[in-house]
Amino acid sequence: MIREVSVTDVWYLVLAMRWTIFLTLLALSGGGAIGLVVAGCGASGSPVLRTLARGYVGVVQGIPLLVWLFIFYFGLSIMGYSLPAWIAATLGFSVYAGAFLGEIWRGALLSIPKTQWEAGRSIGLRFLEQLRYVIIPQAVRVAIPPTVGFTVQLIKNTSLAAVIGFVELTREGQLTTAATFQPFVVYLIVAALYFSLCYPLTVYSKALERTRRVAR
Amino acid sequence: MSLVELKSVVKRYGKNTVLRDVDLMIEKGEIIAIIGRSGSGKSTLLRCVNGLEPVQGGEVWVDGVAVHNPKSDLRALRARVGIVFQSFNLFPHLTVERNVTLGPRIVKGMSASDAAKLARDALIKVGLEEKIHAYADELSGGQQQRVAIARSLAMSPTIMLFDEITSALDPELVGEVLLVLEAMARDGMTMLLVTHEMGFARRVADRVVFMNQGKVWEEGPAKEVFAAPKTDELKSFLSSVLH
Repeated sequence: MIREVSVTDVWYLVLAMRWTIFLTLLALSGGGAIGLVVAGCGASGSPVLRTLARGYVGVVQGIPLLVWLFIFYFGLSIMGYSLPAWIAATLGFSVYAGAFLGEIWRGALLSIPKTQWEAGRSIGLRFLEQLRYVIIPQAVRVAIPPTVGFTVQLIKNTSLAAVIGFVELTREGQLTTAATFQPFVVYLIVAALYFSLCYPLTVYSKALERTRRVAR
Repeated sequence: MSLVELKSVVKRYGKNTVLRDVDLMIEKGEIIAIIGRSGSGKSTLLRCVNGLEPVQGGEVWVDGVAVHNPKSDLRALRARVGIVFQSFNLFPHLTVERNVTLGPRIVKGMSASDAAKLARDALIKVGLEEKIHAYADELSGGQQQRVAIARSLAMSPTIMLFDEITSALDPELVGEVLLVLEAMARDGMTMLLVTHEMGFARRVADRVVFMNQGKVWEEGPAKEVFAAPKTDELKSFLSSVLH
């Protein structure tokens, strides 16, 4: 039953964008938690923790995101843990985002000069106080632009979740195309919706890069 | 007991020995200038006094605290030993006021209003109360260094350490920083300065310590050391820096 692309179809695409945003936020939360641990270990003084962090990042970055999604969706279900698509997607994207955010944040922590630690130590701050009042506030300023940049990548990459049947923007586009057989129109709308999410973030991250007060 | 006592202090970086059996006593109220060529161990010596550099041998006593003992709690000590660095090291993400109040608030648990009052007093001493809401990147090098001094002063230190604090400044900005130091000297602050400002050392210091090859090579009252150096090394050093 082929029909025209209607206002209702466009509305459904807009609604499906919610799931793209939802998945992005879940991935940022899960990936952020993993990333904090990876960054903390990677910037720590312990060679063991540093090696573990490096190992995690190396393994995750050396495997395609799509394969991670297949592992969590098809792989686990064969082992008897059948997960709903959105949970499998959240796990896959969290693992993936954790590695990239960990690297970004580790770099940000290490970019703050040793002299800032010393200045904090010299006025009597303890290690955790140095982190909290001196290092992290500056590291956050360093990390925000690349973190926003990565978020833009993440938004676009959530389209891969369509492959395991999670109905987000791209999957909704596929479904609409199947019903209307007007891929050009439909995917132009899908593209415009992705763009409307990503472009403002890109502009924002560029603006952030211009204003920051950090020791160099 | 002297305020600061260094006894046979040895500092090594790997196989490289930077301080060899350094002995130094500092009494309360004394102003001591450490001079010497770069690489002679001056800055390292200073950083051993507040425990920024752990020592490999000997003893460092400051105000009754065994700094050389890794078990000593250096937090309380560092609140009483101010240090100012060559590169200022202000906290760039904080205003001048917050730079100065961070220590009193966090380390001493002072209330925000008490700390703010303290910061104003400290900034008045260095002549920068009008910059209280500025950020470091809005200040000249000389102003940043004076804020760094105020940051240390706000902790009410019993001794101040100065690590070549005018060396990174443009020549025309050196004077304003030295004026602040002289005012502190008049107030009776105990001061240990690593400096290349020989004129200043001669004028303000009670005692001058000449470091060479990681040792205290020669020391004595400032006037004597400059007027009648005993060792050839100090003679040659003075002739090279005084032209």
